[in-house]
Amino acid sequence: MAEVRLVDIEKKYGNFLAVPKQSLTIHDGEFLVLLGPSGCGKTTTMRMIAGLEDITSGDIMIKGERINDKPPKDRDIAMVFQNYGLYPHMTVRQNIEYPLKLRGMDKASRKDRVMETAEKVELDALLERRPSELSGGQRQRVALARAIVRTPSIFLMDEPLSNLDAKLRVTMRAELKHLHHELGVTTVYVTHDQMEAMTLASRVAVMREGRIVQLDTPKKIYAEPADLFVAGFIGSPSMNLIDGAVKGGVFRTDGVEVPVDLGDRDGVVLGIRPEELEITQDTDAAIGGKLYALELTGESTLVTLRNGPTSVCARGHADFEADIDSPCHLVPKDGARFHLFDRASGERLR
Amino acid sequence: MQDRLLPYWLLVPAFIIVLATTIYPLAYSFITSFRAWDLTKSRRPEGFVGIDNYIYAASESQFLNSLWVTFIFVITSVALTVVLAMALALLLRRKGPMHTFTRIILILPFAMSPALIGVSYRFMFNPEFGVLANGLGAVFPALQGVPWLADPQLAMGILVLTDVWHWTPYMTFMCLGGLASIPRETEEAARIDGASNLRIVFGIILPQMRGVILVMAVLKTIFALKMFDQVVTLTGGGPGTSTETLAYFIFNVGFRWFDMGYASALAWILTAIMMFISIWYVRMLLSERKMATA
Repeated sequence: MAEVRLVDIEKKYGNFLAVPKQSLTIHDGEFLVLLGPSGCGKTTTMRMIAGLEDITSGDIMIKGERINDKPPKDRDIAMVFQNYGLYPHMTVRQNIEYPLKLRGMDKASRKDRVMETAEKVELDALLERRPSELSGGQRQRVALARAIVRTPSIFLMDEPLSNLDAKLRVTMRAELKHLHHELGVTTVYVTHDQMEAMTLASRVAVMREGRIVQLDTPKKIYAEPADLFVAGFIGSPSMNLIDGAVKGGVFRTDGVEVPVDLGDRDGVVLGIRPEELEITQDTDAAIGGKLYALELTGESTLVTLRNGPTSVCARGHADFEADIDSPCHLVPKDGARFHLFDRASGERLR
Repeated sequence: MQDRLLPYWLLVPAFIIVLATTIYPLAYSFITSFRAWDLTKSRRPEGFVGIDNYIYAASESQFLNSLWVTFIFVITSVALTVVLAMALALLLRRKGPMHTFTRIILILPFAMSPALIGVSYRFMFNPEFGVLANGLGAVFPALQGVPWLADPQLAMGILVLTDVWHWTPYMTFMCLGGLASIPRETEEAARIDGASNLRIVFGIILPQMRGVILVMAVLKTIFALKMFDQVVTLTGGGPGTSTETLAYFIFNVGFRWFDMGYASALAWILTAIMMFISIWYVRMLLSERKMATA
C-alpha cells in the first residue's frame, strides 16, 4: 500500500509563495500527473515529495507515515529527472547498479537484478557504454532502469520525456504506460504537455499558480473543464473560447448564435472544441465568418474562421479546400458540448 | 595578388615582436647552455663546451638539492592548494547571505604581489614582534620563541603556507566554475539512490571534476616549479639552502656567480621539466575529453 498524502502542504521561498496551502491524495498504484504551465509549482510539489525541497508547513505521508523529516533515501522513492541525472563517469551497468550497491546488496544479486532490469527496458546490449555514448531515448531508458531496479514504492518523474524528439516521445510514452501497467507502482508524473497527461494519467491534477485547480480523470477534465484556464489548457488544438452574452436562451457575438441553457447574462465565454464543429454550406449556420487559415495536420485540416474579434477553429476533413477570405460556416456536430464560463471569474457556469 | 599577400604583411609586425622577445632569447639561451660564459671575465659567450654544463648539473650537489627542495615544495603546495580549494568551493557553492562578500574577500590574497606576501609573512613570523609568531605562542605556549624562519623544516612549511594562501582563492574560483557545470540532477539522483554526503562528494562530484582538477594541478605545478619571489623576500633560500628552489638557484648561478652558460643549462632543465608536464597534461586532457564525448 503506497498511498501518498499531502496534507495542507505549503512552500514559500522567502516572501514568495510557490505552493499555497493545499492537500492531495495519490492512491496506491495510481498514475497521477501534475499538469500545468512553467512556474505553476508542479515540480516544486514533486520535489517536496522527494525530499529534495523542504516544506514550509503541512505534512507529507507515505504509506500512512509522516516523512517530512526523512531524507530522500529513506522515503522509498525513485525519481526520473528531466535531464536524466545519469552519472556520466559510470557505465550503464554501473548507473543501474549504483542504488543497489548503496543499499548493500551482494554482488551476485546485483548482477542478476541489473540484467533483469536492463532486459525489461531493452538496454542489455548497452550495459558497458557510458551515458555520453547513448542517444536521448537510451539515456532516458537508463534513468528508468535505475529507478525501477530497486523496486521502490513510488516513482517520481519530472518531465522525463521533454528532452526527446516528438517521435521518440510517443514511443517512450507507450513504454512508460506499459511499465506502469506491469509494475503497478504509484507514480507521480510532472509535465506541461497535456497530451502526455491525457494519455498516461489515471488522474490529472491541473495546476495554476501553485494551486490544483482541477483533479480528475483525463476524460472528465476533457469533458468538463472546471474553469476557463483548464478549458484553454487541455486539448489540442485548444478549445474555442468565444466572448459574448446570453439573451433569451441564445449566446450571441459577432458571427455566432448558439442556443444555450442559461439565463440572460453578459460577460459569458462559450467554449466548444474544434473537433465538435463541422463545416457546412448552410449560410444560416450557428457560426459564420471569413476563412482565415487552413492548416493540414495529416489526418485532418484545421479550419480557422474570423468574424470581427471572434476567431473559431474547427477540425475539418483532410481534403477540405477553400480560398482564404471566402465565406465559411460551421455547425456543432450532434451531441457536441457547449461549455459556458464567467468571463470575470473564469468559473464554469454550465 | 596584393590582396592575397596583405594578411601576411599585416602579420609581420606581430611576428617580429614575438621573434625579438620570445624566440630569439629562447634560442640564444639554448645556444648559451652549450657554451662556457663567465660574465665577470667576458661580455660575450666563450667557447662551446658541448653538453658539459648539463653533465656538471647532474652531479652538482647544490643543483640536486635545489631540485629536491623544488620537488618537496611542488608536491606539498600543489596537493594542499588543490585539496583546500576543492573543500572551500564545496562549502561556498551554495548561495548564502554572505555569498558576494565571501567571494570578494576570497580574491584578495590572489590580488597581492607574491613578493609582498613574502615580506609580510617574514614580518608576521618574526619571533620578536611577528603577529603570527606571538599569536601562536600565546595560544600554544610550547611555540613561544620558536625561530620559525631559522628552522629548515619550518621555513619550508611557511614558504608552502604563503604559496597555498596566495593560490587557494584562485583555484577555489576554478573549482566553483567546475562545480557549477555539474548538473544538479546527478547529485540529487545520488541522494535519492541513498548516497551519503561524503559518498556524493567522492563518488559523484569529484569524478565529474576530474578535468578541472587536472587543469588546476598542472597549472599549479608549473607555477610552483617557477617559485621565486617569496623565496627571495621570505627566506632568501635559507636557512642554509633548505628553501633554495630551482628558480632561485638558477638566479643565483646567473646573477650572483655570473656563470651564464651553466645558468642557461639549468634554465633549460627547468623548461624541459615543465614541457614534459605540459605534454603529459595535454595528453591527459585529450583523453579526458575523448572519454566525455565518445
